[in-house]
Amino acid sequence: MFELLLDALQGMFAPKYLVPLAAGTLAGIVGGALPGVTITMTIIVVLPFTFGLDPLQGLAAMVGVYVGGSAGGLVTAILLGIPGTPSAIATTFDGHALARKGEPGRALWLGIWASFLGGLLGAVFLVGATGPLARFALQFGPWEFFSLFVLALSMVAGLVEASILKGLVAGMLGLVVTVIGNDPVMGQERLTFGIAFLRGGIDFLPVLIGVFAFSQVMQEVERMGGPAQAAARAQRALALAVSHAKVIWEIVSRPVRLVWFSFIGVLIGVLPAIGGSAASMFAWDQAKRLSRHPERFGTGTPEGIVASESANSANVGGSLVTIMAFGIPGDAVTAVMLGALTIHGIQSGPLFIAQNAALAYGIFAAYILAHPLMVAMLALGARAMLRVVSVPRAVLFPAVLVLCTVGAYALNNTMANVYVLLVFGVAGYAMVKAGFPLAPFILGVILGDQIEINLVRAIMTDANPWLFVTRPISGLLLAAALASFAAALWQHRRVQARAARAADF
Amino acid sequence: MTRIALTLVLALAAPLCALAQYPDRPIKLIVPWPAGGDTDNIFRPFAPLLQKQLGQPVVIANVAGASGTRGAKEAKEAPADGYTLYAVHDYIHSTYYTGIADVQYTDFEPICLIASTPSVLTASPKTPWKDWQGLLADAKARPGQITVGATLGSTSHFFPALIEKAAGIKFKYVSYEGLAPRMNAILGGHVDLTDANLTQKAKVEAGELKFIAIATEKRHPEMPNVPTLKELGVNVVYDVNRGLMVPKGTPAAVIARLEAACGAAAREPAFAEAMRKQGTDVRFMDRATYAAWLRQNDELTRNLARDLGLLKR
Amino acid sequence: MLSKDGWAGLVVAATSLVFFALTLGLKQNPLVPIGPGFYPRIVLGLTAALGLALALADALRARRRTAAETPEPRAANYLAVGLQFALFGAYAGLMPLLGFRLATFAYVAAANALLDPPRGARGLARAALVGFATAAAAWLVFERYLLVLLPRGSWTGF
Repeated sequence: MFELLLDALQGMFAPKYLVPLAAGTLAGIVGGALPGVTITMTIIVVLPFTFGLDPLQGLAAMVGVYVGGSAGGLVTAILLGIPGTPSAIATTFDGHALARKGEPGRALWLGIWASFLGGLLGAVFLVGATGPLARFALQFGPWEFFSLFVLALSMVAGLVEASILKGLVAGMLGLVVTVIGNDPVMGQERLTFGIAFLRGGIDFLPVLIGVFAFSQVMQEVERMGGPAQAAARAQRALALAVSHAKVIWEIVSRPVRLVWFSFIGVLIGVLPAIGGSAASMFAWDQAKRLSRHPERFGTGTPEGIVASESANSANVGGSLVTIMAFGIPGDAVTAVMLGALTIHGIQSGPLFIAQNAALAYGIFAAYILAHPLMVAMLALGARAMLRVVSVPRAVLFPAVLVLCTVGAYALNNTMANVYVLLVFGVAGYAMVKAGFPLAPFILGVILGDQIEINLVRAIMTDANPWLFVTRPISGLLLAAALASFAAALWQHRRVQARAARAADF
Repeated sequence: MTRIALTLVLALAAPLCALAQYPDRPIKLIVPWPAGGDTDNIFRPFAPLLQKQLGQPVVIANVAGASGTRGAKEAKEAPADGYTLYAVHDYIHSTYYTGIADVQYTDFEPICLIASTPSVLTASPKTPWKDWQGLLADAKARPGQITVGATLGSTSHFFPALIEKAAGIKFKYVSYEGLAPRMNAILGGHVDLTDANLTQKAKVEAGELKFIAIATEKRHPEMPNVPTLKELGVNVVYDVNRGLMVPKGTPAAVIARLEAACGAAAREPAFAEAMRKQGTDVRFMDRATYAAWLRQNDELTRNLARDLGLLKR
Repeated sequence: MLSKDGWAGLVVAATSLVFFALTLGLKQNPLVPIGPGFYPRIVLGLTAALGLALALADALRARRRTAAETPEPRAANYLAVGLQFALFGAYAGLMPLLGFRLATFAYVAAANALLDPPRGARGLARAALVGFATAAAAWLVFERYLLVLLPRGSWTGF
């Protein structure tokens, strides 16, 4: 195993792979740093480029985006107080507070090194656990997969901040999208309304690209002409020099906590459908509970930054485990990566690591190497990153939408995908305006066909419906789905009760 | 700066000036299945060889979905100028007769046949049978309970259905579209049997899978210890044949150019070597032979579909 | 009175019920024990129920809600959004006719001009340049370098 990894690491140094990896990491950092451009958006823009590359080159670029994006978000989060990506929200709490206290350099590098170390701990898990988990995943029959998908949907619907009901409706609407077109078993036409291109069904990638790209771009367009906020502040000169040894020591002098936060990140990453924002938020909350001085959290305590960033970064490793062992995308970013794998003819799933060992270890190597690259790039260009925030939007947005169009078209080489892109662009924007969360919707679209096909397979294999409950793994997964749903309800009730009490006074 | 701009203008305008000497721009080869499937694996090594003959890039475009019929439709509607090729296999007949698609082989002009992949009846390692006799006895004892993973209405469904008929047994079909999901299911023991091919040889040698029998006339040199269905008394010979077609109405000169290029590419030793790795035999037919063979195969599939009770037309 | 949520819930419920009715006409295939309408009906039924629940919850909340509770935030520029969507629609519609290069040039130039209205000839030249550069770069990188084939126009053959 280690020989394979060493070989892969050596191979990754070849310019053929190093260039896409570095380019991806840079794109990720920039995209992550740009407020309003998420990692998902960045990876969508990178997707069409990977079509023409060899599979490992394309994946190296995407892994770079993923790692760079999780780190890039922290630059704007700490220095400007604006999370560049949702996963950096928890970093703003203490990071920006510390920066405002006059220690922007320390705050920034605490974040970067925590991200680096958390990511490497995530790598240990990624390399060690993918194989065994893949062997475990082979036990999964249609019943288990069905239950796993139900668990994923119920978790993501329960995690939304607005209202559980709206989260559920959004998730169900995602499933409705996959019902349109044809049935996945016999390809029989259904609900096509006589529209020819719907007969093949709706691919999830154009939907995902449309929903995310348009909802973000249009929300920015909406605000254009208003006062430019971030750009002006970015020009301010900041003293970022800092003693790296001291900062690193500050992090590693409490190894148990670092490992614990990274573990939280990895775990949340492995669970399908829960992204980096939940990981960093949860780790930050944990750090606060474990601390002897919980009152310092939110005022610029280093521990808060370390917790949030190490968890956020390790989360990426966890998500990669899930797509590589189970072939299930944990979030929109990994869904796009899975799409890229499929384009290159690689079927992710329990057999992936055994059949494509070189590629799997190449992905591990890319993940590991992306971290030093990320640190080097931030060391060289953290300040320049702030200037990127002021790229003219009138140039950026049309170019982004053109890349989305190329990505959607090239997926299946058909214009139908571009029309789907537009329709769901409008739908996604409308959903955001109506206050429906996009994450459960997208997950519904990603998993819909798989849920149906596994349900049908289960019934075709054995007509007994109780097998969903009596098969141990499947039963456990369904119980977990119920439990997570109940927990979400309870949590919401508590928050509401607190809000009501506050209103009474 | 001006020079860069000029180069850009020229690059954009170049195809307008160059007058038709086919082919003068990249050619799209539609593979109607996802990348990484058998068809894709066979045409991917073929594309660069064809490219060498034609002098223009041959780019594979996977237009997957709806049991391969989405790509078929896309290819049928493409302009008949020779810049869109269509990688086809026997499913074109079966999806038409089982009513899954409206596209049939007569919507295209055949170019050549290049490869033939024999089917192998493959069993999960978790099944108790050691050989065909064991399977047969069990199938007789438990009719309709042995599960087979298949793409319904396509070749992986026809093959076990033929065995059912020839041996007088009954299977239960579970829908698993594509070889990769079928392999996951069969390795995990979630289905008992499936139609596979010699690409799975390594797993059989590692003891993770069992080849029950191969559907060739004679034992295959790659796996001489696997019996043929014929010698086991089951009169089934089945393989999947893959070729190239273009939309109807393509100019004769273009077709001739493509046919010549295809013939030369299929005879390359590199192609034979690539096919050996795919558990596939090179089987070249020129345009005329292929057209006659297609007519015959279409009739055969129609009869099969009728015998199996799947005929919808 | 219902708020935005309530109406959204009603629309969701109504749409799923219409879809539900449409699935009733689907024929079952003898090879598959459950028909192609089985799973859609579960999904659509649940969606309709959840949509109704959303509307109901909203109606109950409406009684407690005081007037003018949610002040509209700063007026958004919906005209710009509408124009951008329309422009992209035209782009998608014209691409198969004009081909990727011409359509992209026109789209990017127009979108750039709409987002940042040009002043005088210099501004127009800027929009045209941005459009040209984007179209040329995308085409060179994808079709020429990465061999990702892009649509050609049926009117222009270009």
